[in-house]
Amino acid sequence: MMFLFVNNEIWTITVLGWLIVFAALIFLVGFFLLIPKLIKWSTRRAVKRRRNEAGSTEEEDVLTCEMNAAISMALFLYFNEVHEEESNIITIKEVRRRYSPWSSKLYGMNNLNFPR
Amino acid sequence: MIKKIKLPVLIFILLFFGAGLNVYASNIADPGIFDKAFEGLEKFWNFTGFANAHVTNFIMIGVGLFFIFLAIRYDYEPLLLIPIGVGILIGNVPFLEGNKIGLYEEGSVLNYLYWGVQQGVYPPLIFLGIGAMTDFSSLISNPKLMILGAAAQVGIFGTFWGASLIGFTPAESGAIGIIGGADGPTAIFLSSKLAPHLMGAIAIAAYSYMALVPVIQPPIMRLLVPKKERLIKMKPPRAVSKLEKILFPIIGLLLTTFISPSALPLLGMLFFGNLLKESGVTERLADTARNSLINIVTILLGVTVGASTQAVRMVMDPQTGEMINKGFLSPDSIKIFVLGAVSFIVATAGGLIFARIMNLFLKGDKKINPLIGAAGVSAVPDSARVVQNEGLKCDPTNHLLMHAMAPNVSGVIGSAVAAGIMLAFLM
Repeated sequence: MMFLFVNNEIWTITVLGWLIVFAALIFLVGFFLLIPKLIKWSTRRAVKRRRNEAGSTEEEDVLTCEMNAAISMALFLYFNEVHEEESNIITIKEVRRRYSPWSSKLYGMNNLNFPR
Repeated sequence: MIKKIKLPVLIFILLFFGAGLNVYASNIADPGIFDKAFEGLEKFWNFTGFANAHVTNFIMIGVGLFFIFLAIRYDYEPLLLIPIGVGILIGNVPFLEGNKIGLYEEGSVLNYLYWGVQQGVYPPLIFLGIGAMTDFSSLISNPKLMILGAAAQVGIFGTFWGASLIGFTPAESGAIGIIGGADGPTAIFLSSKLAPHLMGAIAIAAYSYMALVPVIQPPIMRLLVPKKERLIKMKPPRAVSKLEKILFPIIGLLLTTFISPSALPLLGMLFFGNLLKESGVTERLADTARNSLINIVTILLGVTVGASTQAVRMVMDPQTGEMINKGFLSPDSIKIFVLGAVSFIVATAGGLIFARIMNLFLKGDKKINPLIGAAGVSAVPDSARVVQNEGLKCDPTNHLLMHAMAPNVSGVIGSAVAAGIMLAFLM
């Protein structure tokens, strides 16, 4: 059957095709709206469980003044970038010359050039 | 010393030219030598491009030069237009057929390179590189923008309908419709399966319009989005965790390919490339995919697609047995170009209008700037850049690039899914 100059097959592909693209992406949207919630939920659960497990030792986790001072100093230095940057390369370059006939002293002395 | 040499040299010159003149004098009575010379010259002339040239070759060479000009002068997609432009020049230098020179001659070097296009090998490799260089975080942080990528695919299906209307077969219409996806590799992939004889025209149309995105889209944007809405500022996207970034390609791959398995070569490679990038443990592979591999494939794809626009290609008609020209410049190619332009306009308009409709249901700071709907046509990242520029023209402090990247990359996914659907329906 013809409708608006094209047959049914064309109309089916046009409308259904577009709807399937929509459905596929809406499916993805739904998934990715759900995933952050799932991650949040699982993180909260893990934190809760850890808190319950460490419930008795909680009092022992007290930061001392020295530790606070050290952390503050580290943060202060980090944010002000006072600490110089190091290359982290501590290897000393090898200075010994390797043997090569091109740099051989003996070879150079025994094999004189052709007479000029 | 010089005096000593002078005499033998003089004798040699005299002997050489003397002997030559003697031979000439003895042969002058024999007209065969001139015939042979003319025969040789004629043969040489028949081999030259001048003897085989047709006016359409020069038109296509002009098109190739125009592509190169656009790329160098205006910086329109130079990575695509330079290889395609040079490819057009290569494909339209006239030659005598039957010597394994042309792209369509079996056994020629160009034919071997074109095999990757014909069999749809290059597009998935390009998608691998695109996946390895795309950051999907803006999409993950605001997934609802993904729908704009689907809305813009109206260009594909609208053009499919339009092409059927003007007499193309359903398979040809499907291949032509994909131009509206503004995605060159997808267009080549689909046309190689559905309408290989139209592939040159479809690929050239798709890449030309992709390059012309900065020219085509802004007027439609200004026409369909009132200034008040163009000023909407969107809230910055939230930070996305590494876990989400890793999950995205895995879930995206499984979900989309289960819905449209025909798009597996494209979507599989796209998400694989993205996982190489986001996993953080395959940096070397990701680096190769996003640099060396995609560069090599782009060169091969661009040159061979350009060369496929051979203006004169004599083919025997299976019905009449006569030699007919199946070259690039035909009424069908012109129709494809017109349909391509219409599909781009429809796709852009579809994205913009849908963004405005979405705004009717969104409140407060959740409203979106409708301009980003235009980025729903793939053309990564050009259309997102156009959105950014248009946004800045209205408000120099309104940066839309990150927001526009979401519909932009979802447009890539959407057009690949649409290609898979077309294949499923029409193969």
